[in-house]
Amino acid sequence: MTEITTDIPRTAEVTDLDCSGLLCPLPVYKAALVLNKLEEGAVLRLVTTDPGALRDIPAMARQRGDTLVELIEEGATQVFVLRKGSSE
Amino acid sequence: MTTITRTQLDSDRSLRRYDDVRGLLPDVANPSPIVRLNHVDPAGRAETYLKLEWLNPFGSVKDRTAAYLLAGLAERGELDGKEIVEASSGNTAIALAALAALAGTRLTATIPDGVPDEKKIILRMLGAEVWETPDDLCPIDHPKDGAIALARSLAASEGGNRFVATDQYENLDNIRAHYETTGPEVWAQTEGRVAWFIAGYGTTGALVGTGRYLKERNPDVRVVGVEPEPGHRLPGLKSFKEAKVPGLWDPSLVDESVVVGDEGAYRVTKDLWRREALMVGPSTGAVVHAAARIDAAPGDVIVAISADSGMKYTSYFGELLGDEGTPAI
Repeated sequence: MTEITTDIPRTAEVTDLDCSGLLCPLPVYKAALVLNKLEEGAVLRLVTTDPGALRDIPAMARQRGDTLVELIEEGATQVFVLRKGSSE
Repeated sequence: MTTITRTQLDSDRSLRRYDDVRGLLPDVANPSPIVRLNHVDPAGRAETYLKLEWLNPFGSVKDRTAAYLLAGLAERGELDGKEIVEASSGNTAIALAALAALAGTRLTATIPDGVPDEKKIILRMLGAEVWETPDDLCPIDHPKDGAIALARSLAASEGGNRFVATDQYENLDNIRAHYETTGPEVWAQTEGRVAWFIAGYGTTGALVGTGRYLKERNPDVRVVGVEPEPGHRLPGLKSFKEAKVPGLWDPSLVDESVVVGDEGAYRVTKDLWRREALMVGPSTGAVVHAAARIDAAPGDVIVAISADSGMKYTSYFGELLGDEGTPAI
């Protein structure tokens, strides 16, 4: 997997989920399961390789009321940084 | 020393003695029963029969589908040591889980919203992995079919090496199951008098396969599909106003569609338990309720599919009953 860093520091509050090789909606499903278990304000760093995630993950975040903090694309890999809950 | 040699008893259907549970799967020589309704009389003087699919070994009409889906995979060499994945409101998954275990593999089931806990627990008892899936998992591409989309993505992920999808919504073996078993059974059990065949919309396999067989025998047989209202609570049935129409669907085989609401379906379900002593599931209430709306003539023979029993819906029935049947103190 390509190592990608974001502005969110790797602290105990950041949870990583690698969905490389999984096709949508599997990454959506797994991300939602992880987000359900996180505390409000906690961060999920999600790695995907299916281009469908570029539409599905932001839609999921909107639908759930979570915040897409950052999206990094590097080659065929996408990293979504999601914060549980709205940014307001 | 005396050696005692015991010979194994051969399977013998006439004695109801089987080598394993798969011998109980229905076919024209071993049909699921049809039982006439005598008190809940949905269609005037017509003779209405329910085909009690819940007496199949894994408890539903989907036993036929699951057996054919698995046999098809095996015949085509697609099973190949893989695990099975299927999107199911429960009944197909239950039969697949049981048959998969006998075939030495395992089922992962993606289950849509609203399936009762009883079915999920039965699946886990059978060794299946259960993925509860919100209908709106994919709001963009699959607004009401999240479980189907998830099953397909599981099958395609990991290079397609871990799972094989039985795909009851698109797999022609689903139609073949009903064309080769349900249709001939209904024809034989009614001695060719069947005038109406009624089943719910789901995968449409039972409607299309049975309907095709019956219309080949007698083009005047009328096939009726029962559709729930959008937002319904009738597991196993699908409203095509909110769900994708399955690839198996052949509208040329269905003469009319009847839309049924939850209230009427559950009221008739309760009637069937209390007045016919038939402990059916809610989708049976829906098809019998629909039978009241068709234009059957006196003496017409109607056969409706009773897809499953009510034993998997007791939590729903508890809500329906409220305090009914408890002491009024």
